[in-house]
Parts: sequence; structure tokens; C-alpha cells
Amino acid sequence: MGVSKTLRRGILAAALSLAAALSSPSWAADSLTMWVRASGANAAQHLVDLWNSGHADKIALTVIPDNQVVSKLAIGVQSGDVPDVISFDLIYMPDFMRAGLLTDITDSMKGDPNFAKVAPAYAHLATYKDRLYGTGFTPDVSILIYNKDLFRKAGLDPDKAPTSLQQIHDDAKKIRALGPDIYGFYFSGSCPGCNIFTTSPMMVASGAKILPANGDEEPLAGTGVKEVLQLFRDMWSEGLIPKSAQTDNGANFAATFKTGKIGIQGSGGFIISDLKKDAPNLDFGLAFLPGVKEGQASAFVGGDVVAIPKGSKHSDIALAFIKWELTDEAQLEGLAKNNILPSRIDLAANKYFQADPRIVTTAKAIGIGYVPWVFHFNDMVNSDSSPWIQMIQTAVFDGKVDEAIAAAKAKMKEIADE
Amino acid sequence: MSASPRSMHGAGPARLAPRLSGRGSLRPTLRRAFASPRLYLFSALCIVIMALMLFPIVMSLLASLKTSAEASAVPPHYFPSAISFENYARVFHYQAGLPTYLFNSLAVAFMTIALCLLLAVPAGYGLACFPVPAKEAIFLVLLLSLMAPYQALLTPLHRLFTSLGLANTYLGLAIVHTVLQLPFSVYLMRNSFEAVPKELAEAAVMDGAKSFQALWWIFLPASLPSLVTLTLFAFITSWNEFIAALIFMNRETGFTMPVMLVGVRQGHFGAVDWGAVQAGVIISILPCLLIYLLLQKYYVSGFLNGAIK
Repeated sequence: MGVSKTLRRGILAAALSLAAALSSPSWAADSLTMWVRASGANAAQHLVDLWNSGHADKIALTVIPDNQVVSKLAIGVQSGDVPDVISFDLIYMPDFMRAGLLTDITDSMKGDPNFAKVAPAYAHLATYKDRLYGTGFTPDVSILIYNKDLFRKAGLDPDKAPTSLQQIHDDAKKIRALGPDIYGFYFSGSCPGCNIFTTSPMMVASGAKILPANGDEEPLAGTGVKEVLQLFRDMWSEGLIPKSAQTDNGANFAATFKTGKIGIQGSGGFIISDLKKDAPNLDFGLAFLPGVKEGQASAFVGGDVVAIPKGSKHSDIALAFIKWELTDEAQLEGLAKNNILPSRIDLAANKYFQADPRIVTTAKAIGIGYVPWVFHFNDMVNSDSSPWIQMIQTAVFDGKVDEAIAAAKAKMKEIADE
Repeated sequence: MSASPRSMHGAGPARLAPRLSGRGSLRPTLRRAFASPRLYLFSALCIVIMALMLFPIVMSLLASLKTSAEASAVPPHYFPSAISFENYARVFHYQAGLPTYLFNSLAVAFMTIALCLLLAVPAGYGLACFPVPAKEAIFLVLLLSLMAPYQALLTPLHRLFTSLGLANTYLGLAIVHTVLQLPFSVYLMRNSFEAVPKELAEAAVMDGAKSFQALWWIFLPASLPSLVTLTLFAFITSWNEFIAALIFMNRETGFTMPVMLVGVRQGHFGAVDWGAVQAGVIISILPCLLIYLLLQKYYVSGFLNGAIK
């Protein structure tokens, strides 16, 4: 009876599992749902935990892989199956607002005293046709990091970060001389997002304007673009950058520096807590991303915004949560206490950051940073075949700097015209 | 593997459930082969292939036991300098916790298997053994869903499922996975039923068996390896499927393993937590391995059973 017994068991199992099908995954009935992208999950979790500890309406967090947030929200809005509140990469804000995916919160937020203190970049980015659709949630900002141990070994002053492109080049040369597996500089050569975050601020600091808001504006304007690309090209051909940089699609954006074999790299504020956790013995310093001339500096203000999707079933509580996350309690106890930057600039220097001046540096970088308000950011910058990343690759790895810039300009204009 | 097919003088009246007797006519052949120098070449080849297959898994296992700083070292170290379970701990405690994701994945996978079996067996039986009008056209229609990229169907499907209350349920996701797997399953069962000797079916009919009885007592036991293949493939498809699992489930507590594994490794700007990836790989391999090992017995015995007919 061997076979039929097996079959019977199989059919029994099938029947049982079909019965189980009637039940849904277990979750609390009346909690709010919030979506957050995976790389912002840590910060969001701190905030949500704090909210849940003091409020009757609980929020349940759902983590969406970064690259899928756009498609998941778009499909959700179409079928009316959306979260009550959502946080996502701020750069998608213009596209989402124009597509009508978000709820207008202008009237509720305008009178809020905390809202006025949020970094202006967020209010600017979340405004479309004079209406407001969101606010800052968990900011991040790009900075320059350098390995102080390697600086010491190379005879450089560990407390003096490079303050111009030329200095980056000079310091990188000295560090490269320390050994065959020690490199002066690193960047993720196949990662469009990493480079708009860390490379474009060097261009902006040098006076360039990168992305056009519409077809009438000139993309990649100014000599800063060429000067930065030429610096990277020179460092690449001199072997100051490890070969693995060419194919790094961002997977090793943080990992390479942690090995302690890289002198200087552009990175983000998030790296502080990462390094403290994963490489506790690495002595590193932080500075602004410099430009061509001494004293020029800039940053890319990134991170996540928070908004209410159209169709949210608890928009009133969602709004209360958004107002709450701008209060002193949320900004200090939820974010700053956990080494995360607050989005309110008046809280940049707070009691939790006193112990580590490096965090204060990043908080200050938000004040000097820029964030582009553009449509089609994905096509212009973030996609794997974007004109932005093609320009960097052609200029740095193939050495055709002028051709690369001209091609990217034409392509970006074409995209902005759409 | 020392298994050999049951010889004709084996174990009394032919029962449809095969047993491996372990004694048979293959032995002398094998012995001759062992004596030949060709065997060394053959063994060496086997070892090379095995090494190629095992190398990534072993490296994955070793990397999963490194500390997270060591796991992302450039150039990578082959062996961990100290055994650390922090990567496993991270995967285990990520958001809703590993047991939740495992349960979700298993629930959806077993429902997918059940649905595939319940639909593909009658469909394959009908197409193989009955004079269905426009049989080939029907078969082609069944294969259609293989031809459309299912990513394109996600939006309309999601709208439909939301209005039916199937979004956010195990059953809803299992239906999507079944749709993905069904063409192959029907194709497999049809071919398998067609390969069953007509004499056997005719003998059953002579003995008064109805069509359902013939299916139950003749066709299904004779097609055991195909049923096992179907089960295995349905499991693996459902277990690994990512995009529908992400779109159709809307809450952390509803996500399956692949969605969790993408989330757990994600750092800023696509930075990858290599240690967590490797721990996740090892954890997600285990159920597939387990189900294969459990079913392997039927796979082999069924195969040999077919060979002597």
C-alpha cells in the first residue's frame, strides 16, 4: 500500500493547507500601517517604537526593499491598498506629488511651530504648485570620511581633513605609498546613487549646477563638473583608487572603507554608527566635501520624507504621527539619542551629539547642502544606464572627460524635456 | 549509489509500489567498471563537478560564520578567523523575526503544491487519456501564462485580488505562484500519463475500474516520479519567488523569506551586508535541501520502477 498511502497523506496535507488558507497572516486588527524603505528602517523603527510606547493607536512598520518602493506604492494606490503613512527616499517627492499619489497636508502643517524649524530643503522638496505633501523624516547628508590611522602613517596631520580637490589628490598619493594594498581614495564607480550623493557635491561646491528642473535649464553647467571628473581620472590612472571601484554598484559603498585600507572617501552621515558598530578600532575623521578652491564645500541632503498616501484609511492619526515626529521628544529621544540626525536644524547641536563632534559636523552639513527638485530623477541619475553614471564611467575609466560631459548634457536635456 | 532495479525474479507479484532489493544484475557490470582505469577518470570528473557545485555553498557557509567586518573584507579571507553567529542572529531577529517569514513561506509553498497537484493531475489526465475536443488548442491556452511576463500582470491581478479580498492572504499569493507553476505542471503530468502503458489501463478497465479508479490505482502510482518532480518544482518556485510576494503582501508579518532576505542585507545606497546575505542563503537553502532529501527516495524508486516495464 506504499504508494497510495503516500498519496493519501499528500491529499490530507493538501486539504489541511487549503483549510489554513482561509486564515490570513496574523496581525493586529486596528493598528496603523507604515511603509519604510529598507535602508531607512533602523531610524524609522526607533521613532515608531517611541510612538507606540506612548500612544493608544499603534503603528506597525513594513520594510520595503529600496528599489521596489516606487512600484509597490504605485500599484497599491491603483488598487486602493495603501499604507496609512509612508516614508521614502526624498528624491521621489516631485514625481509622487505630480502623479497625485499623496495627500495634501498644507493646511494642517502651516501653523505647526515645529514645522517651521525643519531644514528648509525638505519643505522646498515637498511643495508642488504651492501645496505641501510631506515633511522631513530621517535625514541623511553626504560628507567626506578619512582614515586617521593612515593619515598618521603617511605623515599627514590626522586632524586636518583635505579642504580642496588638490589636497585630496596630494593626500591620496601619500597614503597610496604606504603599501601595495593601501589605497588613497575610493568611490563606487558603478553606483549612480552613491555618486550623486558624494561626487556631485564636490562639483556643486566648485560652482556647478548639476540637474535641470525643466528642459529650459542647462544641465551639468559650470567648470566644476570637469574639474572633479579630471581629478577622479587622474587618481584612477595613477592607481590611487583600487581596481574594484570600477565595478562596485554600491554593494561595497560602505564595506571597503571598513577594511581600514582606504585613505579618503565620500560617504554619508550613516557611516558613523556603521563604523562604530562594525569596525570599532578604526580611527576616522569627518569633514565637508570640498570644492576646487580652499573653503568651498557642499553636501547632498538626502534621507527620507514622510507623507500620507492617497487612500490612507487613518489619515487623521497619520497626520498626528507626522506632527509628533517633529516634536522635541521624537527628534531628540527617537533620533538623536540613537545617533541619527534630527530633521529640525535648531536641534543639530544637542546633548546627545556632544560626545562625538563628528555627528555635529554631519548635522551642520545639512545647512550647507543642496537637494535637487527634479522630475525623472530616476532616469537622469539613479538608473543603471543613466547619463549621470555613464558620464562618470566614460570620464574616469575611459579618460574621455569632455566627450562624456557633452553626451550626458544632451541626454539629460532630452529627459528633462519629457 | 548501490541501488539496482528489481529483477524479474525479484519479489513475487508485481506491485506498483517498488522496493529496492539491492541485489540485481547491475552488480557484475559495476564490478567490471571498477576494475577499469576509466573509473579513475570518471571518479576524478565526478569529484571536480562536485567541488564546483559545493564550493559556493561552502564559501557561503564559511562567510556566514564571519563577523560582519570580516565578511566584507577586501580582498576576502577564505576562512573566518573566529566563529561568530552574529549574522544568523541578525537574520533571526530582523523585523518580524525569522520564524514569521519561515512560516509564511512554508504556508504559501505548501498551498502552492496542493493547488498545483489538485489542478495539474486532473488536467494532465484528461488531456492524456480522454478524447477531449480541441485538445491541442486547450493545451496551448494552458501554456499561455508561460509566455506572458508575469510582472506585466501584477497590477491588474493585484486590483482583482484586492476587490476579491485575496490581497494580503496566503491563498492569494499561493494562487499567483500556482499560476506561475501550472503550465509546467500540466505539461509534465500529461506527458507522464501518456507514457503509462496502454495495456495497464486496459487491464484495469477490463477488471471494471472506473476512470477515477484507474487514475488512482494505475496512473498515479505509475507517475510517482512526475508527482514528486511537480511537488519539488512547485515548492522551489514558491519558495524563491520575490516580486509577487512583495506586491501581494502588504505587511511585514505577511512577507515571505525572499522579501526579508532582500531587506536584511540592504544598507545605504545599495550597500550590502555580506554576512547577513550569506547567513540568509544558508538558512533558505535548508528547507529546499530537506524537501529534496525527503522526496529523493520516491524519485529514484519510481524511476527504476518505470525502467522495467
